[in-house]
Amino acid sequence: MAEVRIDLVSKAFGTIQAVEDLSLTVADGEFVVLLGPTGAGKTTTLRLVAGLEKPDHGRISIGGRDVTGLPPAERDVAFVFQQYSLYPHLSVYENLAFPLRSPTRRVPEDQIKATVTRIATMLRIAHKLENRATRLSGGEMQRVAIGRALVRRPSIYLMDEPLSSLDAKLRGELRLELKRIQVELGVTILYVTHDQIEAMTMASRVGVMEEGRLVQVGTPREIYENPATVYVATRLGQPAINLVPPSVLPQVATPPGTATIGARTEHLDIRRADGGTGTGIVARIEHLGDQNHLHLDVAGHHLVTLTESDIALDVGDRVNLDVRGALFFGADGRRIAA
Amino acid sequence: MTDIPDRRTVAERVAAATPDGLARKVSGFSDRTIAWLFIGPTIALLLAINIFPLIWAVYLSFTNYAANKLNATVAWVGVRNYSRVLSDPDIWERMQATAHFVVWTIVLEVLLGFGLALLINRQFRGHSFWTTVVLLPMMLSPAVVGTFWKLLFQTQIGPFNYVVSFFTGIPPSSFDMVGSVALAPWSIVIVDAWMWTPYVMLICLAGLRSVPDYIYEAAEVDRASSWRTFWSITLPMVLPFLMLAVLFRAIENFKMFDMVALLTSGGPGSTTELASITLKREAFEKWRTGYSSAFAIILFVTIFGAANIYVKALNAVKNR
Repeated sequence: MAEVRIDLVSKAFGTIQAVEDLSLTVADGEFVVLLGPTGAGKTTTLRLVAGLEKPDHGRISIGGRDVTGLPPAERDVAFVFQQYSLYPHLSVYENLAFPLRSPTRRVPEDQIKATVTRIATMLRIAHKLENRATRLSGGEMQRVAIGRALVRRPSIYLMDEPLSSLDAKLRGELRLELKRIQVELGVTILYVTHDQIEAMTMASRVGVMEEGRLVQVGTPREIYENPATVYVATRLGQPAINLVPPSVLPQVATPPGTATIGARTEHLDIRRADGGTGTGIVARIEHLGDQNHLHLDVAGHHLVTLTESDIALDVGDRVNLDVRGALFFGADGRRIAA
Repeated sequence: MTDIPDRRTVAERVAAATPDGLARKVSGFSDRTIAWLFIGPTIALLLAINIFPLIWAVYLSFTNYAANKLNATVAWVGVRNYSRVLSDPDIWERMQATAHFVVWTIVLEVLLGFGLALLINRQFRGHSFWTTVVLLPMMLSPAVVGTFWKLLFQTQIGPFNYVVSFFTGIPPSSFDMVGSVALAPWSIVIVDAWMWTPYVMLICLAGLRSVPDYIYEAAEVDRASSWRTFWSITLPMVLPFLMLAVLFRAIENFKMFDMVALLTSGGPGSTTELASITLKREAFEKWRTGYSSAFAIILFVTIFGAANIYVKALNAVKNR
């Protein structure tokens, strides 16, 4: 395990600037998640660290060693691809043993067997070792792919949306498992996803990416509570943060220069308004089971908030909004201190 | 005037364009009937040109029929033609020549074709141009290839002998590819390999392109040597394509006629007389129609049986 430093790295594909002057340090034993929508440059960043792409400029070092010009094999990294990328005609056992059979490693056969069995047991695929890799379910295939990374002890594990092709239930299970393994083994992981729940639950730190740039890095809590820009604020939170101009919520004292108020569920307090007063109208109520999504119409703007499931409100009711601790953003999208 | 887009479906437009009389005639037909009307002529032709002659040949193979003696009485001879074919040492010699040709062309074409495909699969400048160049021999007519190589193999003026001489030092006029008993079987192998290696290459190339990049990338990160990557990723994933190419080439070369007929006409002696050439001689030079029909049926069953077994193996490989 080792620290990974990315220094002002840029990469363009033709005219498309995939990654621009990106700097990030992943400390030893850290689980860093790169979060962003498709095309934000997350995967390219990961591939640059792996050596599958060469940076146009900038420097990448792993454990203090400059690896910028080295091929993937000499970087001591493990990569889990978004597609399962199993060797299709090999058995699960052979797939897991594949990295250990590299001529540069020369791992003895009994040690390979011990490692493969241990990892397979940990990922609960020990009973499938003799199966062909392609005769597995999606979840099992992805476990094998993750297992193929885990049989090694590289400086860093690079994972490119490893859970995105799985169904919700399996994704939840593997998410917990992956975090448990990371804590148990104390390994360093750089993980790419567009799923905010994965970022929130697994990351030691989250890096939010937008159009090739790293906009903000911090713990999931910091990113959620103190987003630097409107863009970062919209990446985390379910339902998404409500963004409205100050005129919609005149009761809120805004600092000078505020162009947008960002109000999350916990910033909004909703009370039924009596006698036809009140600034908002209940437009829709979505029952989620334990909670409700409450859709409000406030001065022509659409706001969504979470409420208790037993709320005594109906569609068409007028409500008053109290706003506490909302976030303020200037016209350029940057955060303004309250 | 502005064009008004025609929003009717093709079927509606066809219906509107059909003359009333015809429309009345076909309006009572079901879709199934109309489908049969469309494929009927094709099926009729297929029956007349392919299926009927096949059945007729099966019948003829049990008779002493000779196509040049139309007035002779045709007698049923049972399996006599078959036993004669199978006990004829000449026929077995021809089959050996055919096997030599089929096996060596496949070995050469697979090795060279796969090698070429590996080379062309690398992205380099002008690689599509070179692909086209490599494919040229395949686009020629076998008759042209046979005639042309006869010239290339010519001992006095043929460039082939000069090229061999340039590399080995053997005098160009001291050997005759087409005329010598030892070399003639190899001359047809060389020409077929020259002509059809591109075809095998094309199929292998399709196989190579079907291997997703990320598998190679995974192997790269896993520190697999290029040797191991080839043996445990490239080859197994291209194998079904390779086997398909072998099947096509084997069937084609088992019934090879045109190129060899024009290059060596089966000679010298009968060293390059492949099964199809023998068949043609028996049928249309010696006019032993019943005998040659029996031989043709034997060849057909051999290819058909072998191909069936092979396809089973191919499916087993595909389903691994």
